[in-house]
Amino acid sequence: MKKMRRVAIANRGEVAVRIIRACEELGLETVLLHSDADIKSRAYRLATRKMRIGPAATALSYLNIGANIEAALAAGADAIHPGFGFLSENADFAEQCEKHGLTFIGPSSDAIRTLGDKVSFKNLAKKAGLPLVPGYEGKDQSIAELLKQVEIIGLPVIVKAAAGGGGRGMKLIRNMVDAEALIESAQREALSAFGSAQIFLEKYLESAKHIEFQIFGDCTGHVEHLFDRECSVQRRHQKIIEEATSPSLSEDLRRKMGEVACAIAALGKYKNAGTVEFLLQDNQFYLLEVNTRLQVEHPVTEEVLNIDLVKMQILTAQGNFIFSPQDIRIPKGHSIECRVYAENPYQSGMPSTGKLGLVQWAEGPRRRFEYGFESDDIITSHYDPMIAKVIVWDENRSRAIDKMIRTLKDSVIFGVHTNIPYLIEILNHDEFRSGKMTTRFIETYFADGLQSKVSDEQTRKWAIEINKTLKSSSFHTFSGDMGSQTLSPPTHSPWSSHWRGI
Amino acid sequence: MKNTILVNIDGEEKNVTAEIIDKKIWFKLDGQIYSHDLTDLTAGSFKKTKSMSKSPDKILAPMPGKVTKVFISENQKVKKGEALLVMEAMKMEYTLKADISATVEKVFSRVNDQVTLGFLLIQLNEDK
Repeated sequence: MKKMRRVAIANRGEVAVRIIRACEELGLETVLLHSDADIKSRAYRLATRKMRIGPAATALSYLNIGANIEAALAAGADAIHPGFGFLSENADFAEQCEKHGLTFIGPSSDAIRTLGDKVSFKNLAKKAGLPLVPGYEGKDQSIAELLKQVEIIGLPVIVKAAAGGGGRGMKLIRNMVDAEALIESAQREALSAFGSAQIFLEKYLESAKHIEFQIFGDCTGHVEHLFDRECSVQRRHQKIIEEATSPSLSEDLRRKMGEVACAIAALGKYKNAGTVEFLLQDNQFYLLEVNTRLQVEHPVTEEVLNIDLVKMQILTAQGNFIFSPQDIRIPKGHSIECRVYAENPYQSGMPSTGKLGLVQWAEGPRRRFEYGFESDDIITSHYDPMIAKVIVWDENRSRAIDKMIRTLKDSVIFGVHTNIPYLIEILNHDEFRSGKMTTRFIETYFADGLQSKVSDEQTRKWAIEINKTLKSSSFHTFSGDMGSQTLSPPTHSPWSSHWRGI
Repeated sequence: MKNTILVNIDGEEKNVTAEIIDKKIWFKLDGQIYSHDLTDLTAGSFKKTKSMSKSPDKILAPMPGKVTKVFISENQKVKKGEALLVMEAMKMEYTLKADISATVEKVFSRVNDQVTLGFLLIQLNEDK
């Protein structure tokens, strides 16, 4: 068993907190590798140690391999957990970690190269006769060649970042007129988000469901799947709501897809946590890609199986996790996750930044909140807009939906706009409730975000009334019987400066 | 709770959770969260906010973020619907387009500039 004492975290936000918690339970110290922009964050406050890796720009900090390794070594870490996004699927990073004596908590750099690289993955799947979506993943990345391939595959075609995930750099081509601009835009986004402009093309399935299988390779290399998740609710190819297990799979389909997922993982000699993504249309399934890392939506799998995937990851990296034939895992009940994004749903999802005020999560049985920021923390424009995840479990899907709606309604976030009203509308939609939604659900029903039911003038009237009451009540609370409501509260009181937003 | 107050809303006493953050009031009323600019409340009459006073010849940053691409240069003619500039925030791209046919009078931002919300990026001169 490998000795592990201190784990460096090459990530930020809620996932950094998630990893810190798992380390704490295993008695491990943590080192947060952070940029200048993330000092006011929960992970910074919770980590045992913190090391600065660079300025806010991701290329200089969270995507900077040298800076992360140097900082981890300087802090005396013996392992690195990369979380998801950033360097988590970067084979060079995994390799550099191992070279410098740091245990990379994830698959081997070889497995990342084989399965994480979408081109090599497709070749492997093709050879093994596993079902794939038609597409182009050639080396020739010139606009002329890509345009020719778009025509060969036939519209609609989706453009994806070869090194990517999470919807970044993805564009949908519906007309040849827009093709060039969309390909260029995808290349720019891919370069900025993943450090590589390489893209590939894929036939876009019009009414597919996004189904994925959690796979896990133990330290002996034995791969099992930990059942499925459905993530069909996506906007601009970014997942918004995920659930386990999928409401769309028959037991037969679940078994077949699970077998394919394990087969491809075993071919890549996979150890640690990973996800095999599929598209499902008309009961036909196609392998989409393998994410060689922990997934954002891992908690829904944890909830239905009562497991801790991050702990399993760390134990596997230590050489201390082996599947036993005695472990029979059967998913129980239903779990849903909603991603809370800092954006204004009434302005078609415009990013919202600012200082968080009151943050209140409506706690209750089987409600789980994964968040990276609290009151007084600042949400900047430098990083992903996902500021939290809300996860619920209940005995069946419809109860889980009701529980999620109630939980979101009772939670409060002030300081930035969030997509919570948008999430509630989606959860209440008949097609979502029926479980029949496809990846086109959002563009079909919620393309323009939400229309506010309340006019600006009405909001303003309420604001005036509430502001008046707020001022007078804070004055009375903190300065007793000293005077009338028209006087300003004394400025030396910390309360009054708080209320006045100074 | 320190942020919850009883307020008379349209003749009815209601529990409202409210807080002032950086000159903006945030409140939760009947399960919905709203926010409003406080500087806008001080004036007796309805004052138009920045976003409402924008005119189609002024291309303003709709969000804080980075300018990643500028398609046009000064004195260039642009058609309605033509892409002018690309911005990026939170790793997502937004393309700003012309709402009018016009001539580019002045470009105030360059690639890689970090701009604030409402920053004047491009001044157009509408074709008559």
